[in-house]
Amino acid sequence: MLEMKNVSGGYGKRMVVSEINALFPKGEITSVIGANGCGKSTLLMLAAGLISCETGTVIADGEDISKLSRNGLARRISYLPQMKNPGSISVRSLVSHGRFPYLGYPRRYTEIDRQKIDEAMALAGVSELSDRNFGELSGGQQQRVRIAMTLAQDTGIILLDEPLTYLDIRHKLETAELISKLREMGKTIVAVMHDLDIAFAFSDKIAVMDGGRLTAFGVPDEIAESGAVEAALGVRALYSGEFGRYFFVK
Amino acid sequence: MAENRTVGRVFGCIGILIIAAAFGICSGTQWISPVKLAADISADGLSPDERIVLYIRLPRVLAAALAGAALAVSGAVIQSVLGNPLAAPNIIGVNAGAGLFTVLCMALFPTAVKMLPAAAFLGALFAVMTVYGIAKKTGASRMTIVLTGIGVSSLLNAFIDTVTTVFPDSLSGISSFKAGSFAGVTVGKLFPAWIFIVVGIGAALMLSHDLDVLALGENTAASLGMNVGAVRFGCLAAAAVLAGAAVSFSGLIGFVGLVVPHISRKIAGSSENTAVLPVCTVLGAAFLIICDTLARTLFSPYELPPGLVVSYIGVPFFLWLLIRKKGASHNA
Repeated sequence: MLEMKNVSGGYGKRMVVSEINALFPKGEITSVIGANGCGKSTLLMLAAGLISCETGTVIADGEDISKLSRNGLARRISYLPQMKNPGSISVRSLVSHGRFPYLGYPRRYTEIDRQKIDEAMALAGVSELSDRNFGELSGGQQQRVRIAMTLAQDTGIILLDEPLTYLDIRHKLETAELISKLREMGKTIVAVMHDLDIAFAFSDKIAVMDGGRLTAFGVPDEIAESGAVEAALGVRALYSGEFGRYFFVK
Repeated sequence: MAENRTVGRVFGCIGILIIAAAFGICSGTQWISPVKLAADISADGLSPDERIVLYIRLPRVLAAALAGAALAVSGAVIQSVLGNPLAAPNIIGVNAGAGLFTVLCMALFPTAVKMLPAAAFLGALFAVMTVYGIAKKTGASRMTIVLTGIGVSSLLNAFIDTVTTVFPDSLSGISSFKAGSFAGVTVGKLFPAWIFIVVGIGAALMLSHDLDVLALGENTAASLGMNVGAVRFGCLAAAAVLAGAAVSFSGLIGFVGLVVPHISRKIAGSSENTAVLPVCTVLGAAFLIICDTLARTLFSPYELPPGLVVSYIGVPFFLWLLIRKKGASHNA
């Protein structure tokens, strides 16, 4: 469970998000949506403790994250940004880096670490890619490997910044399926999403942001009917009974 | 993770290093056969050949090995921390910073020879932190880092020229310093620089895992619990120690720090520093021994600056690697 209480913050003097109050429940996927530049990614970075809050507190499983050590925080919350190209590195090495918060000096992996790495790779369906070079994989495979890395980090809370961006449609749906599996493991998942169709189909909660503020937060049906999406993004939600999901039109 | 493969490749490079060192010891103005040398060593007293090896060639081979390993590892670390394959100690002004502080120390405190490595380290650290600080403030794009480095490098070189013009007497050997040279090096002159180099390479190897995590991106590293600022400072300081120590006794030898890390990545089959840095250490040493040996034998009795040979061998090989890679990716 992750809670943001009256959180404001940004970069240096520039406030990007203000007065965020939200509770992201355990075992649920919350998608954060909103126009470009509305502060979605900043909200995620504040929640991850990567930038500190100007006001307010972020509470992860009952503890104020500003009171946690770096490793303590990294064992509770994982954060997957749009990663830069990691160079020439094997899939297994990349997934193994998820164990960094558990490694003492001199950075040797224990049997437990290896087990967690194997489990994470199996769950993300990348075990057979183990020795492949990350850079040679397809976009969809790369994304599964990166998610495997956050799984190896073994945290209760997972924050994903645009996990489906740059993927073709089949890989988007496959990655969304993988993220849904994590929910069943009881993880708290918060994802910044651009694909509204997919976000509304696979999320338990939708958070709408507009101009640095949270303008709506609730279950997808409720949000779709509320008009908050139209206000923030200028699109309307249409429900298709045939497909049992929402589509978005201008 | 492919640790066995890495170990195998490091041993392969150690083989090259041993052959290079033997070649460096035996060749010179006059060839000394290793068989005869072995016989001389087992006999009592010092034969003339033994003296040449012990007092002239061995110190040079050692100096080249130390400088080569130091510059190569320094380059690999800087490239990784700045996320820029073009960043090398000579390009972004680290060597120039070390050079400036070295000539300043030589000019102002001519007797404080043992202080040179420390002065060079401070100069290298100053340069690398300036480049990093400016690049960080302006957004740290790949291009900014290289441009900033080239600017800082030119400015520092201008300072070096100013100092050498103002203090011509205390800096008589300056032209060989600027081109880089191992002529006249003795085991005594390598102290205390070799300690800096051993410590610097040790620190770089100890930080190599963290460096790999840092290479995933600042935010990813921080979310994995890393103290990004401290690790980055530690890595750049290690790189500055290495470049500074090498410059303090060998002068401004360029290009080793650019070309050897790239070759090492090809040999290691990975860009992971845990695999690359050990290869880089051994290969850097072997590479500079070979270059220096050729430099003093090709046109004997004239000696080329080893930096020239580094360019003659390194650049074509480097270009070949780049072209081959391009071809391979087109064919794939």
